[in-house]
Amino acid sequence: MDPDGDRSLVVRLRAGDTDAFDEVYDAFRPRLFAFLLRMVRRRTLAEDLLDETWLRLVRHAATLRPDTRIAPWLFTVARNLYWSERRGWLVEDTYAPDLLALWPSPAPWPSPFDLAAASELERRVERALSTLSPQHREVLLLIAREGLTPTDAAAVCGITPEALRQRLSRARAALAQKLDETPAVAVLKRSHAT
Amino acid sequence: MNINDCQNDPVLAAIAALPTYDVSERHTRRSRSRCHALLQARSRRDTPVVLVSGTPFRRVIGPALVAAWCVAYLVEVIRRAAAFYGL
Repeated sequence: MDPDGDRSLVVRLRAGDTDAFDEVYDAFRPRLFAFLLRMVRRRTLAEDLLDETWLRLVRHAATLRPDTRIAPWLFTVARNLYWSERRGWLVEDTYAPDLLALWPSPAPWPSPFDLAAASELERRVERALSTLSPQHREVLLLIAREGLTPTDAAAVCGITPEALRQRLSRARAALAQKLDETPAVAVLKRSHAT
Repeated sequence: MNINDCQNDPVLAAIAALPTYDVSERHTRRSRSRCHALLQARSRRDTPVVLVSGTPFRRVIGPALVAAWCVAYLVEVIRRAAAFYGL
């Protein structure tokens, strides 16, 4: 979403325009849900946090600053909700096996074979990702999966861009190491080389 | 780090290629309608109340004169009724 698009959406949201809300909702619902799901790894909890994120947007719609950028704003709220929720946890599951049995958006894979191979690779990446610390997981997801700029991702995480770069580098190394421990890395490297 | 770096890095590219997920249709409908209701209620509440417009005569003096005339009329009706019955 470009800055001009953001600006006009913010103006309409401030006026209580439900169509503007629908535009934001449709554009960001799957992205926010996938982000939250990969952070909390519990479907019902991810749904609750997603709902709360939308309620926060509605409650603060009238007071949004005109230069508010929607994506960083929403991911900041979702991320803060996750960390608030996490403070109440005593233990954390390492992996939610039902993660892949949800409603994946259709992917334009060329053939059933590729689809099966990709699914296997995805499963391994998901598993490796889920074993990382939340701090590492969130920077990888925000930068690599959601395409946020380092400056935006740093603002979402409440750290400086330089600290984010260092954290991203460490997170990437940690994930590569986790993947090296599984046969997936060979598949990954082979598929990337082609 | 930019989008090209993600494409050039096999680890980041693998994360970028992960599928996205969505909530169920039913959940979407419920959540959307709840937010719509709140948004509409908020915008109704934030709409400034339209003050009674017009000059002071229309807002204060006019109603006061009408009320005084009504009171005088009622007093006269009671007075005539009392006179009719010889009270």
